[in-house]
Amino acid sequence: MSAKIKIRDLNQYYGKKQALKNVNLTIETGMFGLLGRNGAGKTTLMKVLATLLPKTEGHVSVCGRSVSKAQEVRRITGYLPQDFSMYPNMSVYEAMDYLGVLSGLNKAQRKQRIPELLRRVNLQDDRRKKVKALSGGMKRRLGIAQAILHDPKILIVDEPTAGLDPEERVRFRNLLCEIAEDRIVILSTHIVGDIEATCENIAVLDAGEIIFKGTVAELIDMAEGSVYQAEISKKELELLKKRCIVTSMLTLGNNVMVRFLSDSKPFASAKPCEAGVEDAYMYLMSSRGGEAECLDSSL
Amino acid sequence: MFGQLFIKECRQTARSLIYWLIVLVLIFDFVTQLGEMDIAREPKKGQENYGMKMSDDKDVIMETALGGLTEEYLRESYTTYPIGFYKSVTLDKKEDAKIGKIINEATGIKGRDNLEKLWEEWYTAQEEKMQLQSGQEPGEAAEGMEPAMMQNLVVKPAEGLTYERFEELMDQADDILGGGSNYAEDYRKKNARVPKTYEDAMTEYHELIEKDRLTGGYARLFSDYMVIFLGLVPVFLAVTRSLRDKRASMNELIYVRRCPSAVIIASRYLSMLVMILIPVFALSMVPLTQCMKHALTEGISADPFAFAKYILGWQMPTIMIALSVGIFLTELTDTALAVLVQGAWWFVSLFGGTATLTGGMYGWNLMPRHNTELNWEGYQEGFARLASNRILYTSLAVILAALTVIIYGQKRKGRYQLSWKNIGRSKK
Repeated sequence: MSAKIKIRDLNQYYGKKQALKNVNLTIETGMFGLLGRNGAGKTTLMKVLATLLPKTEGHVSVCGRSVSKAQEVRRITGYLPQDFSMYPNMSVYEAMDYLGVLSGLNKAQRKQRIPELLRRVNLQDDRRKKVKALSGGMKRRLGIAQAILHDPKILIVDEPTAGLDPEERVRFRNLLCEIAEDRIVILSTHIVGDIEATCENIAVLDAGEIIFKGTVAELIDMAEGSVYQAEISKKELELLKKRCIVTSMLTLGNNVMVRFLSDSKPFASAKPCEAGVEDAYMYLMSSRGGEAECLDSSL
Repeated sequence: MFGQLFIKECRQTARSLIYWLIVLVLIFDFVTQLGEMDIAREPKKGQENYGMKMSDDKDVIMETALGGLTEEYLRESYTTYPIGFYKSVTLDKKEDAKIGKIINEATGIKGRDNLEKLWEEWYTAQEEKMQLQSGQEPGEAAEGMEPAMMQNLVVKPAEGLTYERFEELMDQADDILGGGSNYAEDYRKKNARVPKTYEDAMTEYHELIEKDRLTGGYARLFSDYMVIFLGLVPVFLAVTRSLRDKRASMNELIYVRRCPSAVIIASRYLSMLVMILIPVFALSMVPLTQCMKHALTEGISADPFAFAKYILGWQMPTIMIALSVGIFLTELTDTALAVLVQGAWWFVSLFGGTATLTGGMYGWNLMPRHNTELNWEGYQEGFARLASNRILYTSLAVILAALTVIIYGQKRKGRYQLSWKNIGRSKK
């Protein structure tokens, strides 16, 4: 059976509000990033894939199984929700063991798999610790461990790095990449850095619509030639911010080194530079809102 | 999967504070109600009092029923048990006048004033009798004598009133009261009580040790006390268990597992049932041991399994329904509403059961009462209704648990969400 997720003409409604509009996607083995601002519909799409929401319209299949057959899909998917915890009075091992039983693992399988996974997520020394005593990062790692407990072909991870410190975030991203070697990992996030560091294929969602799908390189190509850098005064910065999308800035004494988006060279001292994922994402989002182009070149 | 999950759920229950509070409540119930249990001994000739019994004497039936009707008429409030549940009935003027007319024909006493006079005379006589009894020196009263208490009013029927006409009048009164009153055929016979004779007491004692094999009677008494709290406390356990996933933000982690909803709910339900039955069985060991010791010394062939039978047959349906109401309403509403609902039901049942304390009239009460180790005959007479009662509540509990499985399954698929904000089915 093909390790693919196929989404065709998916429409999703919350009452009268349309959360997903005509979504079409094919996701194959490896890390897949789903990028979009808060409220773009990422969690809704994740929940449809995880069989936590019934699809309203369209066809969604996970490894050849329709998501309407929840029981079958649940055997091959692991899910880490955005907000989750576990029974606070259970130890790390007990929580894993409890979820292992619910995943249909027998005693021998659990005995072999849980220590292995705890080692993988670096929680082997905390196996007796109560869940309530874990830090945010440890909880996230435990979350990943529980999601792959039954060795699923698909792992769905919703905003996993929110609230983590930089060190934990890097560790977590590396862990996801390792896990994605032999399965599909869908990472939903609004943090561009997470996608840049982990995913080759991505889709960008905005207001329920897929506005980009392809590789990270393709996304960057879109913004190529539209990214500029310049050292300007702080006064000029205010003017620039009104006219262009500024993607980064670095203060240098009285001046500021800015990176911004513009379809043409806006002023003489602006130097074209190589686009990054963040630039490309901002370019994509702003072009939807018609703000990518600098209003004039009067700087 | 079920067995392992069941054990894990039992462990979770054993770790919850609410469970240990429930155990404490049950211990308190047992110690305060049954802790100092005296095993019945053979009645002795010459005792002043052997208790009361039902009478089939037509005069007694008429006097008791008319006394009761007069008392309730004067109080302007009637107690009824339509479909087995307690109800207080107040009549309008027209209906009140009809009852007055029935009393007038049945007793020959006309007017509320004359009835009040009769009641005052009765009350004064009762007071004097009580003063006389309480004035006796301690130990002066004969062994087995019951404490002084007010007897119910009895009113002699009118001269020439036939039993058939009396029955017609009482049926009319029962109709006016909406049925299930003390004047309905079954109740008016059961309310007619006379003092027991030595022979009656001996018969009852022999029924206790031969038919009930001693432990049967005490198992009923044990059940009578235990169901009082078992009709309420399990709901707390069920509600806290059902809300625990939400409180721990664990719902979605569980929803996406492959384990069927029926297995999840059944393991939770059965684990709670078993964990509540454990302290009940443990507490039953105390009266069982007492009974077995007594049986050994008196040469009575006691039934060592009687308590187990009564716990499973009498008490378990009550526990089951309280648990089912708990899990069903909690899954349905995601709130602790079940505590209120079960609390109200428990209150009505408790209040309703006080009129049928001595057993035999179990009705559809959630907590059937039989507050004596005796009255085997009453138990036999009421057994069919008791069995129907217990089967009904067990079935209802199973139906509610099955409905909980359906609701839980729908929640797992996102098809049932209380906020109605995230329903993905409806569209523009």
